[in-house]
Amino acid sequence: MNNRTLQVHLGIGACLVGLFLILYGIPNWVSSPSNVPKIILSPLFWPYTIAGLTGLVGLGLIVFGRGADDDDIPVNDPIEDPGTGVVRLAAMAVLMMVTFWAMPRIGMVWASMGAFAALAFLVRTRHPKIALTCAVLVPLVLYAFFAHVASVAIPQGNYVRLP
Amino acid sequence: MTFNKLGAACALGLGLLATTAMAEYPERPINMVIPYGAGGATDISARTIAEPLGTAVGKPLVMSNITGAGGAIGSVAVQNAKPDGYTMLFARVGSHTVNPAMKATLPYSLDDFRFVTVYEINPVACAVRPDSGITSMEDLIAKTESDGTTYSSSGVGSLLHLAAVYVLSEYGVENPLEKATHIPQKGGGAAATAVLNGTATFLCTNTSALASFVANGQLKPILVTTAEPVPGFDAPNATDVGKPALTQLVGWTGIAGPRELPDNVAAKWGEWMASAAGDQTFVDQMTARGSVINVMSPEDANAFIQKQYETFRALVDKLGMRIEG
Amino acid sequence: MSLFDSIMAGFALVGNFNAFLSLFIGIIIGVIGGAIPGISATMAVALALPFTFPMQPINGILLLLGVYKGGIFGGSIPAILIKTPGTPASSATILDGHPMAARGEAGRALGMALWASCTADLISNLSLILFAGWLASFALNFGPPEFFALMLFSLTIIAGVSGDSLLRGALSALLGLLLATIGLDLVYGTNRFTFGDPSLMGGLNFIAVLIGLFAIPEVINMVWHPTGHIGKVQSLGSKWVTFADYKRSFRSIVRGSFIGVFLGSIPGIGAAPAAFLSYSEARRKSPNKANFGKGEIEGVAASEAGNNGVAGATLIPLLALGVPGDVITAIIIGAFMVHGLQPGPMMFVMNVDIIYGLFIGLIFSSGLLLIVGSLAIRGFRPVADIPKRILMPCVLVLCIYGVFAVNNNIFDVGVMFVMGWVGFVMSRYHIPAAPFLIAFILGPLLEDNFRQAMLMSGGSPEILLRGPITWFFWALTVITVVAISRGTLNKAREPG
Repeated sequence: MNNRTLQVHLGIGACLVGLFLILYGIPNWVSSPSNVPKIILSPLFWPYTIAGLTGLVGLGLIVFGRGADDDDIPVNDPIEDPGTGVVRLAAMAVLMMVTFWAMPRIGMVWASMGAFAALAFLVRTRHPKIALTCAVLVPLVLYAFFAHVASVAIPQGNYVRLP
Repeated sequence: MTFNKLGAACALGLGLLATTAMAEYPERPINMVIPYGAGGATDISARTIAEPLGTAVGKPLVMSNITGAGGAIGSVAVQNAKPDGYTMLFARVGSHTVNPAMKATLPYSLDDFRFVTVYEINPVACAVRPDSGITSMEDLIAKTESDGTTYSSSGVGSLLHLAAVYVLSEYGVENPLEKATHIPQKGGGAAATAVLNGTATFLCTNTSALASFVANGQLKPILVTTAEPVPGFDAPNATDVGKPALTQLVGWTGIAGPRELPDNVAAKWGEWMASAAGDQTFVDQMTARGSVINVMSPEDANAFIQKQYETFRALVDKLGMRIEG
Repeated sequence: MSLFDSIMAGFALVGNFNAFLSLFIGIIIGVIGGAIPGISATMAVALALPFTFPMQPINGILLLLGVYKGGIFGGSIPAILIKTPGTPASSATILDGHPMAARGEAGRALGMALWASCTADLISNLSLILFAGWLASFALNFGPPEFFALMLFSLTIIAGVSGDSLLRGALSALLGLLLATIGLDLVYGTNRFTFGDPSLMGGLNFIAVLIGLFAIPEVINMVWHPTGHIGKVQSLGSKWVTFADYKRSFRSIVRGSFIGVFLGSIPGIGAAPAAFLSYSEARRKSPNKANFGKGEIEGVAASEAGNNGVAGATLIPLLALGVPGDVITAIIIGAFMVHGLQPGPMMFVMNVDIIYGLFIGLIFSSGLLLIVGSLAIRGFRPVADIPKRILMPCVLVLCIYGVFAVNNNIFDVGVMFVMGWVGFVMSRYHIPAAPFLIAFILGPLLEDNFRQAMLMSGGSPEILLRGPITWFFWALTVITVVAISRGTLNKAREPG
């Protein structure tokens, strides 16, 4: 992907977002009372303005993007294993979802220990022992700090509670 | 030992454990949710009572501010919490009578909570800028009827919003929504600043929020809604002006749990509140801010809240203020 | 209350061990946080925020200001040592600091960074003390129309932080404006983009969005390319900064400090543009122009003076108007509110003791920064050696705890995760994140003040031009927009 395709892709994306908001998103997801005296006071006015501007910026990106040089310089540094890279990203997304789901159920400390260890292995750390030690210690230290120094009610979950 | 015996022993043990757990409530710190930002009236009230209350409870009370959407987010957090008495809510007039009366979109109703007490009543006062030329409610009403006025509030569905409309309506303004323009602000501090810098003509809010401005002569009180005079506020009260219905317009702070809160937990809270509210430092601190300490039993608290809700709801329905969207 | 009384009241507040201890601890946290890439000064302040809730207001705020100042300096340590700016503000420091480190003069570069930072900090604090009161005297004239004009002008700053493409910056800003509309409508209380979820009714938590947008993309990027960071850490070297170096760079330091003060006092610019502007001015004026970019010590001095000059001056709009000058002060404003203090004109009336207490604390902060900074330069090496693939999981867990603590709400952690992916995609498409954040902060203010002004006037737009303050900001806005358009067109016309 060079600079020109990037601009054009972004422009098309912005136009689509603007159109979607104007035609579907704002009418369905922004509610407004029926008796608004002036259109500029309506809760809809500002979202419509933003959506319209997004569309305009999208058009601008397409126009300027097409005028740009069509060179071969990629905008992002390539990595050696794009295929597994995508798999790792998907794993990261799953990791975040599982952590978010687990936090209120098993407690933030245990969930973050799991997240720490999983992430360390996801990025293929060269120090697995240190990583595991930190995975246990860092959430515990943070728990002690937040719960007992800052008196924040860190979610404890339904199973094993810490003092 | 046979499996039967083992099972029986386990069941007995579990049963014992369960009963002792119930008997020993609270056996760990209690999470107290404050649905408004730190530094606000609810927060100050909650943190003041937390001192003597913590002594009465015998376990730490962990204060958690969960703010947003006019108190709705913190209230929902308690509504959805386990009804084990370890998550309780500091409920406030805004989140539990004004909001339910005004907002059809609210994700909870009064029935989703079990109130264990209401412990504090805040009078409401209306104030204007001293150089505004308005010196009494009559001036304000006359100006509202002729030129129209503006009032500030801490947001749609806040006590300040409803209070201004309520007062104008009590004073006989036929259509207060059209005669007076509501200019909502973000938060109570901004609402007071809006009157100070001339953005709005008046505001009606808790006396505690106005006290320092009134003491500095930056704002002039023109009405307090209690039957008794409020110290430091040189303004007529509801009795003076002969409008007893205004006494319904007061702020309050109470404690509530989720609807299924067990009876023994509610009973415990009754005992704790009775001993906490007797604490002289607490009473002194609260009365210095203009509050009236009055610990209500769960039944009284429910009746009080229900009555205020119905009064507000009647006004909202009469004027068509309910937010449906 | 006379000035003398105010100063004495301020002394009474800060004249105790705890206040200085808070400031000292804050600076230490800041230097360490700023020095760890991935925990910028912004995140260090956000993470320190919950700890200040139970403290005395003045101590809590001094701690945060210490973190801020320490963080802006601390960012220069990894910028010089490993070519990774610890905070966005120290990006300009890399240009000459890293070549110096490559020559084995890291110690000299770090020393100069520290001296320049402390000098600029002092100048900035003095400017705050001298000008804040003056600004505050007319701040009560700021009603919704004036604020609307000011916010409109502040939005033009987005052009300065957009990087190489103004359109991509604008796209980023629009995205920020759009996400800021989530929640309850101010005037009618109706739902906007809440999808029936009560958690969305309060809008997206600012700190969750901030951390999600800046820290989490670093973590995701590490997952995408686990070996991308591998490089060498240079040794400190034995050469230390000399007074002759300082004297030679002094003019650039002072010029940079005032550039920082000026840009810092205008809401919405922040420290990174100030550092770059200071750097380019120093280069333009220096006799060693050719050496800039190859390890010129004056370049390090100018960049660091520029970004630390901002740190005190951003408090001018914060204290005088209640307007956050940048992301960090937007978080600090939260600390004021937590303690029931409403930054803005009324604070000079209601809490003048706290204001003077802050001023006194700030004056001492420059000296404390010098002490902590010298210790940090010597003691930092082991911390910088934490393998990045251990550091990133630490950052993730820290972010989870920090974001939860802001509003005791797990939903915010989810917001942070989602914003992390938004930030990652944005970085892949080279959309700068800074305009997003500025728009996310300013958007609601712009809309609210516009609608409040319309409510005041009954819908007539004339109120937006009701007085000299509004004329002033409208004129500034027009001038800036014309200048930006001309600059963009000229750039477009340039061949190649």
